[in-house]
Amino acid sequence: MSAAPLAASDLRGARWRLRLRNARQFVRRYASRKDGVVGAALLVLFAGLALAPNLFVGPLQTVTTATGAALEHPSGAHLLGTDEVGRDILNLTVQGARVSMVIGLLATLITILLGAVVGIVSGYLGGRSDQVLMRLTDFFLVLPTFVLAIVLAPIILDIVGTDAEYFGIRATLLVIIIVIGVTSWASTARIIRSQTLSVKERMFVDRARVIGGSRLHIMRRHILPNVVNLIVANTVLTFAGAIFTETTLSFIGLGDPFAPSWGQLLNAAQQAGAPGLGAWWYIVPPAVCVVVVILAFTLVGNALDDVLNPKSATR
Amino acid sequence: MEGADVMLRPPGTPHGAGGRRGRPLPKQADPDAPLLVVENLRTYFTLSSGTVKAVDGVSFELHDGEALGIAGESGCGKTTTALSLLRLLPANAKVVGGSVKLFGIDLATKSENALRRYRWREISVIFQGAMNALNPVRRVGDQVAEPIIERLGVPKAEANRRARELLELVGIARDRAADYPHQLSGGMRQRAMIAMALACDPAIVIGDEPTTALDVMVQAQILELLERLRERLGLSLILITHDLSVIAETCDRVMVMYAGRVAEEGPVRTLFRGPRHPYTQMLLAAIPNLESDRRLLGTIPGSPPDLRTPPPGCRFHPRCPLAMDVCREIVPEEVRYADGVRLACHLYPPGGDGARRPIPILEVTGAGAPGATTAPAGGPTP
Repeated sequence: MSAAPLAASDLRGARWRLRLRNARQFVRRYASRKDGVVGAALLVLFAGLALAPNLFVGPLQTVTTATGAALEHPSGAHLLGTDEVGRDILNLTVQGARVSMVIGLLATLITILLGAVVGIVSGYLGGRSDQVLMRLTDFFLVLPTFVLAIVLAPIILDIVGTDAEYFGIRATLLVIIIVIGVTSWASTARIIRSQTLSVKERMFVDRARVIGGSRLHIMRRHILPNVVNLIVANTVLTFAGAIFTETTLSFIGLGDPFAPSWGQLLNAAQQAGAPGLGAWWYIVPPAVCVVVVILAFTLVGNALDDVLNPKSATR
Repeated sequence: MEGADVMLRPPGTPHGAGGRRGRPLPKQADPDAPLLVVENLRTYFTLSSGTVKAVDGVSFELHDGEALGIAGESGCGKTTTALSLLRLLPANAKVVGGSVKLFGIDLATKSENALRRYRWREISVIFQGAMNALNPVRRVGDQVAEPIIERLGVPKAEANRRARELLELVGIARDRAADYPHQLSGGMRQRAMIAMALACDPAIVIGDEPTTALDVMVQAQILELLERLRERLGLSLILITHDLSVIAETCDRVMVMYAGRVAEEGPVRTLFRGPRHPYTQMLLAAIPNLESDRRLLGTIPGSPPDLRTPPPGCRFHPRCPLAMDVCREIVPEEVRYADGVRLACHLYPPGGDGARRPIPILEVTGAGAPGATTAPAGGPTP
């Protein structure tokens, strides 16, 4: 018991070695899932596009900086053709990745945060708090996303003004983020609650209570680590759902015309009559991007679920 | 050693004999009161089909440095009795009567909030099945440090240091503190549980079947560890088990329970050499014996009664081969005899010397039943 000074640094080293080993093990297990690897590669590609679109296609083209003529076919100069005012579609699509991904990310954060907190608190406390929180969840579960968005968007925009900006995000986008978050946290809360109900009956929770841990302590230190695999897998799938919802909302005209997300592009294409004019190059690129990103997220989500879930058979 | 001494008694500190091991007492404690006095404890479970009187009038004492074994079949109220001390009970269970006096402080009348400060600080529990009592996704060292941080308010770094010392004390290398429970063997997990129980230097440790589900070698190691810790730290121990040999090895006194009541209680030696209650006799007869060449173990026919509707009179009478008419009607009183044995059985008249009434000698199912053939072995026959 007198070797304390030696042990402290040794222990830290051991801890890091252990973490490294665990990380390696995780990567190896994940890598054995081919679909997961494909999904992850696609996500990395799109994340790269979203992070630095200017690097790939230059700054976002506007009507004044448009480089081509109206509705040009794909060619050497414009790989994916141009839109009705002569903007390069490739440029718009790559720039659109950024807006779509940012909206998806923020909406997912809201969803997971709300869902995890409500799910864990409701499941662990039980009784009256559970009743109240679950009825609230039921309410949001049945709330129709589009109706809510249509009602909420003009009201919020009227209050804050269409040009208002928060944290560098325009108010219109913020509305979409909030609407997606508000309508999708409920199912996450249900999933987390169900897992919490099973975890809280385990004996180590009783033990923690006997030791004198407060409810907050038990929820944070004992329940949360046991549902984190669900949270991770759920985050990825929620992200896909958020991008899908964002596309739909923008397509029906609730998006921000100044921020070209993929849904916004599809909306513009429809407004310009691209389907009728046979301008497939205007519609296909953003649509394919949406499909590919959602597919990639789903692949990664399923792979993560398999790798993280200790009960999965493939392990 | 310097770190360990902050929290744990230095080796060789005298224990028992009224001494309090030098540990600070809770505020309202009476320094002259016995460590633990339980009187007429009653704990009932409320079910939709009725009230289960799981513990119905149990009394016992525990003195400093003493080890008390609680024995009996499954469902006879051993664990409920022990967990009632701190009301660590399921939601549908309630302590409906009696008193639990720790250092003279009645815990039975304390509010839930007031009771919290006695949990783990004064009485801690070694849970049955260490794998379930440890959180699978947290490091063992962090979990052992948990009561030190939460209960004693010690800063994290200091608590982690103490946790490693505690692990070393129970025979786990300190670098294993960074391991997760599944990386430890069954015996090591049980040791970690013991370390956790010792974390706040409690006055009483309750071992709830601490050796169940461990193989015999590991079981022996754990018992040896408990014995060593008891000697070194002067622990007072309540050991719940259905394994009488564990009690024989570890405990000073044994309390045999049947259907929520005390059947017989007394010093281990006296009681094991000369069991008086027919239930105790039959329990002891059910222990495998090396010398006797029997193919079958002694068994007690029947099963414990449904405690929603316990039988009238002595609760053991439906299974007792010596049951008399009086047993079916009148609840036997608990009588303490001169040799320290407490007994609730009509076979032994109150005020006597512990000798049985002159009636036919008990023919226990097993032939090797100790005390079965020599009727009143235990009492100091004058």
